[in-house]
Amino acid sequence: MKIQRRDVIAAGGLAAFAAGFSQTLGRMADAFAGPADGRHQHYGAGLEPEFRVDPATGELTPNPDQQVSYTGCMGCTTLCGVRVRIDKATGKILRVGGNPYSPLSTEPHLPMKATVKESFVALSRFQDKGLAGRSTTCGRGNAALAQIDSPFRVLTPLKRVGPRNSGQWEPISFEQLVKEVVEGGDLFGEGHVDGLRALRDLKTPIDPDNPAYGPRVNQVGHIVSVNDGRDLLGRRFWQQAYGTQNYVGHGSYCGGAYRSGSGALFGDHRAMPHAKPDLANAEFVLFIGTAPGNAGNPFKRTGKMLAHGRTDGRLEYVVVDPVLTNADNRAAAERGRWVPIRPGTDGALVMAMMRWLFENGRVHTAYLANPSLAVAEARGEPSFTTASWLVIAEPGHPRDGRCLRGSDIGLAAGRQGTLGEADPYLVMGEDGRPLPVSTATAPAPLDVDSTVDLGGKAVRVRTGYALLRESALAKTLDEYAAACGVPVEVITGLADEFSSHGRRACAVAHGGMMSGAGFYNAYAVVTLNALIGNLNWKGGFAMNGGGFPHVAAGPRYDLVNFPGKIQPKGTPLGRNVPYERTAEFARKRDEGKAYPARDQWFPGAPGLATEFFSSAFEGYPYGLKALVLWMANPVYGIPGLKERFGKDLADPQKLPLIISIDPLINESNAYADYIVPDTLMYESWGWTTAWNGVPTKMLTARWPVVEPRLAKTPDGQPICMETFVFALARAMDLPGFGPEGLADAEGNRLPLERPEDWYLRAGANAAYAGQPVADASDEDMALTGVARIRPALEAVLKPEEWRKVALLYTRGGRYQPANQAQDANNPEWQAQRFAKPLWIWSEHVGGAKNALTGKRYSGCATWQEPAFADGTPMRAVHTESDWPLLAMSFKSALQSAHSIATPITGLHPENALVVHPEDAAARELATGDQAWLATPGGRVKCTVLVHHGVMRGVVAVEHGFGHRELGARPHRIGGQSQPDRPQLAAGININDLGLVDPTRGGRNVWVDAVSGTSVRNGLPARLEKA
Amino acid sequence: MKFDSSQTPAAGCDPSRRAFLRGLPVLTAAAAVPVPALAAAETRHWGMLVDVRRCIGCQACTVACMQENAVPEGSFRTVVSTYSVEVTDAPQPAGTYVLPRLCNHCDDPPCVPVCPVGATFKRADGAVLVDAERCVGCAYCVQACPYDARFINHDTNKADKCTFCAHRLDAGLLPACVETCVGGARIFGDLNDPEGELRRRLDEAAGEVKVLKPEQGTSPQVFYIGLDQRFAGKVEGQGSLWKPQASHG
Repeated sequence: MKIQRRDVIAAGGLAAFAAGFSQTLGRMADAFAGPADGRHQHYGAGLEPEFRVDPATGELTPNPDQQVSYTGCMGCTTLCGVRVRIDKATGKILRVGGNPYSPLSTEPHLPMKATVKESFVALSRFQDKGLAGRSTTCGRGNAALAQIDSPFRVLTPLKRVGPRNSGQWEPISFEQLVKEVVEGGDLFGEGHVDGLRALRDLKTPIDPDNPAYGPRVNQVGHIVSVNDGRDLLGRRFWQQAYGTQNYVGHGSYCGGAYRSGSGALFGDHRAMPHAKPDLANAEFVLFIGTAPGNAGNPFKRTGKMLAHGRTDGRLEYVVVDPVLTNADNRAAAERGRWVPIRPGTDGALVMAMMRWLFENGRVHTAYLANPSLAVAEARGEPSFTTASWLVIAEPGHPRDGRCLRGSDIGLAAGRQGTLGEADPYLVMGEDGRPLPVSTATAPAPLDVDSTVDLGGKAVRVRTGYALLRESALAKTLDEYAAACGVPVEVITGLADEFSSHGRRACAVAHGGMMSGAGFYNAYAVVTLNALIGNLNWKGGFAMNGGGFPHVAAGPRYDLVNFPGKIQPKGTPLGRNVPYERTAEFARKRDEGKAYPARDQWFPGAPGLATEFFSSAFEGYPYGLKALVLWMANPVYGIPGLKERFGKDLADPQKLPLIISIDPLINESNAYADYIVPDTLMYESWGWTTAWNGVPTKMLTARWPVVEPRLAKTPDGQPICMETFVFALARAMDLPGFGPEGLADAEGNRLPLERPEDWYLRAGANAAYAGQPVADASDEDMALTGVARIRPALEAVLKPEEWRKVALLYTRGGRYQPANQAQDANNPEWQAQRFAKPLWIWSEHVGGAKNALTGKRYSGCATWQEPAFADGTPMRAVHTESDWPLLAMSFKSALQSAHSIATPITGLHPENALVVHPEDAAARELATGDQAWLATPGGRVKCTVLVHHGVMRGVVAVEHGFGHRELGARPHRIGGQSQPDRPQLAAGININDLGLVDPTRGGRNVWVDAVSGTSVRNGLPARLEKA
Repeated sequence: MKFDSSQTPAAGCDPSRRAFLRGLPVLTAAAAVPVPALAAAETRHWGMLVDVRRCIGCQACTVACMQENAVPEGSFRTVVSTYSVEVTDAPQPAGTYVLPRLCNHCDDPPCVPVCPVGATFKRADGAVLVDAERCVGCAYCVQACPYDARFINHDTNKADKCTFCAHRLDAGLLPACVETCVGGARIFGDLNDPEGELRRRLDEAAGEVKVLKPEQGTSPQVFYIGLDQRFAGKVEGQGSLWKPQASHG
């Protein structure tokens, strides 16, 4: 490797390690780690060990002053299982490591039957066990404990003083909080505000002209962040008890475009299933817009598998990304490679790869020809696709783009009627007549272009395979290469390599898909896998192992059904339903011009927080009366939101009530009227599964291993999400809560009035799922601090249950043995298999129309350049001559969106804008210069960092900086000011530069036309010296 | 039933097409050091092997060390230096190089003889430690260390450095950085234990094992696989992606 000396950019080390004497950096003003007392002569301020292990005998001697507990981390969305080390006398958290039982922290993980004592010894030097069974926490996971005692935490209910977002609050009592938000009134001297009781109108329609919008209760919206193991309780309250339709997560401004593209292939646009490379066994993996080991989910597990695979010589990988990350490692240069690409153009690369695969006989047609799982399995394949299924390809036909069904050709439609699930899908039979998939006993023709007689009319039908092939061949390799900036020989080399490892190759993407072509780029990447037939194979495209049912109608308790449970109704605020089902469509159609709709609809998307604000403030489909933000920060996370809607959020006339439940004050709940405190990480309850990437079943048990720092309710419980909704339910007498809120499996009513009522019973379901787990011993409980919650376990659970649930807390969860990843009967197949078809042609997307133009969407992977909602290419509006660069963000190896006020910041205090040397030279910019980065959506001042680790013409910035809150601004609470640490505002946030979509007529922020997800990669930009 | 004959998977492939992935030059051939010999006596001798290929640059070690040892922010007993480098003889324009750094616990430590009060010493088990009761904070040792591994702790005004987490070793545990190394890059153990994992890895990698700045003759006891000598010392670069917060003096 020849290295240009002038382009060596040190990250951390250059100055950092030499931070001692020669280059005095001194102490940070906001040092988090204070000096320790009682220093040892040689050990310095090293912590007292949590236990001792005799290196000769392996005998364990616990430290009676410390507690070591297995619970869950919340430093990022991976939610790893961790071990938390606590000083018993002070309750201070000393340090955090990995949980050796958890596959998210350990590979391979310990079996459940290992005692806690054995698990501790497994971490020690004894027989080098601690090396083989290393159980880790990442840099952020190590640092995250600082949030527990952060001076920026909200510890009591707060009510705003003065106008919204003025940074002034008064602490109020829990009773006052509940009374005011439920009953409303003239709460701020600004006039009457409806409370939650008045807003819970389950009968009156929001809009009599559009009854499909549903009842007025839908005007209470709720945004949550991720499912941190408590989400199902949130949903139970806000949707099933309170009754609103509008409860959404953060996916649409996170990695939603990838999930939507994946959902199209996996045939489920609501749950959006996705798979991951089986990194433990793969030979070649193509990562596109996701940087393994740099960031992503599961972060540590992916990083560890990547490190192992590239070192032991089994794995080769390529990372296609506009920016260089820690996914590259020059010490293993022969095993991994970085390919720079223009943001938002991954689809061009992938469709070019597909073209090469089709033209060189590398598409696995024998696999694709299997029309059903039965035929596939008979031929040794663990998965199948719809490649051979017939699709109506007749322009003008009302079902153009949809699959041909049995009812179309006069067959019985089955139980659910015409076009119901049982209405047969069809393949072309040997006699040239369509044949139901279920009756096919052999592979079906793939390349079909024929006509069938539908009601006396010849209608053209084709297969998904033929349509995809046509889509791939629509452009030449040179055209694709010109679009994405990747040379043809690299593209063909990638295609060759990808198709040269049998099933032990895989292509995967993620957050890099958040562009103006996000949906189709993502759909293309995941479709690559179908072309080599790698789904469900060992070393291929693997499904997540999943969890153990806990919040379920389970073997011990029914946590799902209750008398009076509401099924929310009505049009979701994000318009993620077909426009063609609205009253507006019917009216306009009758008037002769069905299109355009007033604004875009997203039939292929899940709930969209990205559209919440434009919907609410433009009143289409309807406005909001109250917004609840739980751990959510859309103002920081949605590109363009603050600029466009900050003023509206600040105006109580436009949105009368904003309630936040959050441990911190972030960029969004700074606008709140009330902030309800919440538990944080090691203080909180929850049950979480691996989001993906773990082939075995697992469930992490999170529990309060320390006493929450929060103020208490009058009956002595911490004030947090759970106790808040319990109090709301009590005040409004809502179903599914209170003294008879729950039931056991026999139907006996039980209380749901304390967090333990919910989480411990969910744990009982998990402990009894399948083969019940063993009982926890007293020693297990003593060693892990579970003895602390023993009274609750015994009080809430039945005598035969509590020690089994305690076992889960002593192990930090429940885990399937590591050696069960593959099918015992077929070791080349994954144990957890996706059994439904992969939709080479998605009839759900291909049969839908753009509500602004009435044009049909493509139903298969295709290359479309980044565009606005009506299909106008972004570059047709914001030309390259005006905006010569493309700006993007990338995930940080260290900083998450909310980890700013932790020791991570001392290590990495700012993000700089990465600029290619040629782009920098053209602007006379050098590393360290201040520059203005501008897009049509705004401009920010940034520091420039010049190196070759970015695609020419692209400027890139790490996410997680540019904060205005979370400590960047001191709030005044009851006359007390938070600490003033303006350095926490360092750096820039790409989302301050988000665009408006000029084709939608309003202030809507730019989202992908199909998936409705944020566009932050590939913003037109210019850069000039400040 | 007829299938397009061009669609059957072809056997073999053009190896040159995939060449873009291969043939990347290995790191510069700096002299490998001989794997340290087993001592005749049955004494314990701590050492570390850092397999750079396994490092993902997540800084778990860095943060764990800070917390385990109350290292003042802005100073580091260990850190992963992370470099973005332009690459001119491989198909990709730039690459990432990471290098975990810590005290090398040299067998011939230059920090020891310069200490005017005898505070810095090498323990019988190989760990180089500072006796805080003797240290006067003169920083001669800080200047003498060719690896920039020492600093004056602003809380104590004493010389400070990696101890291999001697307090954990003495309790039968592993150093904090090793325990939490996500990629499994840090392998710690007794160099004199013929059955140990450290010895096994070192022997396996014989010929590839290097140390930082061998020309200094310090005999480091921290060994590397995948070490590129061009990053061994202070690296001059144009800027820093992650720069510790500005000094307050």
